Amino acid sequence: MSFIAGVLLFVVVVGLVDRRLPWPSAKQQEVGKW
Amino acid sequence: MVAGHFGFAAMVKSRERSAPLWALMLATAWLDIVFVPLLLVHRESVQPIHAGYAGLIIHADYTHSIVGMLALSAALGAMFLPRLGKRVALVIALVSASHWVLDLMVHRPDMPVLPGNLGNLPYFGLGLWNHPQAAACVELVLVAAGAIMYWRAAMDVSTRADRNGRLASFSAAMIAAFGLLMLFLDYTS
Repeated sequence: MSFIAGVLLFVVVVGLVDRRLPWPSAKQQEVGKW
Repeated sequence: MVAGHFGFAAMVKSRERSAPLWALMLATAWLDIVFVPLLLVHRESVQPIHAGYAGLIIHADYTHSIVGMLALSAALGAMFLPRLGKRVALVIALVSASHWVLDLMVHRPDMPVLPGNLGNLPYFGLGLWNHPQAAACVELVLVAAGAIMYWRAAMDVSTRADRNGRLASFSAAMIAAFGLLMLFLDYTS
């Protein structure tokens, strides 16, 4: 269970850090492509 | 295989930049996430055949059947459709399905076609876990390639936005560090 908790923590922390990067928005990109 | 799946998610993020990394990582683990409650209620199970890394036959006859995988992947994609749009929702569904493809490589033949192994059709699994060092090498390559590809893409978007690359490097370093830690803990378990 501690391994699963560690994996969840990894996803949350990395996900939060990644959100601060200036990636293009999914919806904006879709408007241009579809 | 845990770390390898997350390495693959980071690789996809580098190519499909508008897909949130957390959603890709959720997608790559989706079949295993659904597996956990089924394991707890004994609908699915694990059978240890030796101690340590790769020492399991996994009887995940619902979540890891081909039909089950397709249904779960489609459901996850549909959940993200309103929030992220068609393209990213499709990518998320495909990343979920990639879990089965990577598992196909390493599992011993324990993944059925139909849920509950209806019809007693043949099980799938190429059995790389019979060679634990080779399986660990594949995971290591996925983690390293994922972290490097992610770092390059993150640096690129940071440069385009006139930002320095410190956060991009930090994020990529976290992916590499956590991935290697997961692989180490899995391999030495």
